[in-house]
Amino acid sequence: MEFYIKVLEITCLHTILVLGAYLMTGLTGLFSLGQGGFVSIGAYTASIAYLHFNVPFPMAILMAVLMGSAVGFVIGIPTLRLHRDYFLLVTFGFGEMVRAALLHLAQLTGGALGIAGIPKVVDLPMILVSILFITFLIYNLKRSRFGRNCIAIRDDELAASLMGINVYSHKMKVFILSSAITSYGGALYAFLIMFIEPNLFNWLESAKLIIITFVGGVNSITGAIIASVVYYSFGEFFRFVDVWRDVLLALAVLFVTIFRPGGIFGSWELSPKNLLRWRVKKD
Amino acid sequence: MEVLKAISISKNFGGVSAVDQFAMVQPENEITGIIGPNGAGKTTVFNLITGVYPLDAGEIWFYGKNITGLPSHRITDLGITRTFQNIRLFRNLNVLDNLRVAYGIKVRYTMWEEMIRWPRVKREEGETEELARSYLAYFGLEKYGDMFPYNLPYGLQRRLELARALMANPKLLLLDEPAAGLNPKEIHQLIETLLKMKEEKNLSIIMVEHHMELVMNICKMLYVLNFGKKIAEGEPKDIQQNEAVLQAYLGDEG
Repeated sequence: MEFYIKVLEITCLHTILVLGAYLMTGLTGLFSLGQGGFVSIGAYTASIAYLHFNVPFPMAILMAVLMGSAVGFVIGIPTLRLHRDYFLLVTFGFGEMVRAALLHLAQLTGGALGIAGIPKVVDLPMILVSILFITFLIYNLKRSRFGRNCIAIRDDELAASLMGINVYSHKMKVFILSSAITSYGGALYAFLIMFIEPNLFNWLESAKLIIITFVGGVNSITGAIIASVVYYSFGEFFRFVDVWRDVLLALAVLFVTIFRPGGIFGSWELSPKNLLRWRVKKD
Repeated sequence: MEVLKAISISKNFGGVSAVDQFAMVQPENEITGIIGPNGAGKTTVFNLITGVYPLDAGEIWFYGKNITGLPSHRITDLGITRTFQNIRLFRNLNVLDNLRVAYGIKVRYTMWEEMIRWPRVKREEGETEELARSYLAYFGLEKYGDMFPYNLPYGLQRRLELARALMANPKLLLLDEPAAGLNPKEIHQLIETLLKMKEEKNLSIIMVEHHMELVMNICKMLYVLNFGKKIAEGEPKDIQQNEAVLQAYLGDEG
């Protein structure tokens, strides 16, 4: 039982990170390989504040979120003027830069040895409540002006700006929000697995967040969450396929991009209204 | 009242002069046409007015306000909207949302209110939807609200783009070849709609168009461009007789 709870905790924590990536890559079409950088910033800020400066846990989490947002803002100023592939490259560089900085700022971060001795404060209910809350926020944004503007920017930036959307400042809002969510997830991560090190979350992990978003469906929060839960719990529950997990993911990506380019769930969302409509259709 | 005034605006692309010292005045509640052969720089004029490209020289004034160099979203905010020569609808927003996105500048709730679905958000979203549905009905698109725009026939896509441009209640509407790809019946409908909209909403319209019947019928003034230069301006019946225009369109007499 304990094992399954552990698996669920890790899975759900990754789902928070997927939600952060969903907002940016799924809704707005900004491909960032720097999400890992924000996970680390969140994890290290909270841990160092808690262990070295005796900041209470909730305050440490808050500091991590503020730090993530602030870094997001600073990184966003130059990078959000770049377009697709250039943005991807620069965010990739940012993620690796954070990793290198953590390795070399050994006095504060412990370098390659990482930080050990973080207490386990985070449990499954706390993570689940976080997911519900973040999903609530993102879903609300998605179904009103903010979300429509995101999708408009993803589809056609020029037309979006001619609808009166300030593309740059809108992207900035998205980037800061996504950074805040991601560093929140990173902070929880530190207090869940009790040990962090600079290689905690490399660019490959950041790429997985994007891929999961795409498999689930760029227009569906439901799809992103389900794809995330399936992917991150799959390997643990089916240990025998362990190393084949990434092969299966690759195959899933292939099949989805060929046969369902909009993702498995397309633009379908789980809501009472849609469930009802679905039942009516079936009848 | 002058709605729009362009004072000798110019734009070069790598040494090629796309628009060369073009000047025009748009009076209120009138329809003006910009015509000319392919590649004459007509669409570039629209792109300069809407801030898509920065001007190389000249000034643009809108209702007595200098809008030269403003970014596109500010210009839209001031009340200039447009359609595109190649339809540019948002493919991942359904027909209804394509209209709603254009109304974003009129909506007053903030991002924070949106996050927690504050009552004001619900109310204004309701109002937006009602307005969008009324536009769909006006343009005969009410059946297609839930469909995605690129599943619609071409003529309906054009209508949807026009509806989207009108959604935020602009003062000046720029139409880039609104009749391209439409059949005679649809062009007739378009003329009726434009004239009706112009009266009902006190709208001023500038259109780039190749379809001569449309232009000659509804435009009060015409500007003729060739190789980025204005070669003639005047009322449609004078333009029809203008030698420079005939030469640009038909070439020199044998």
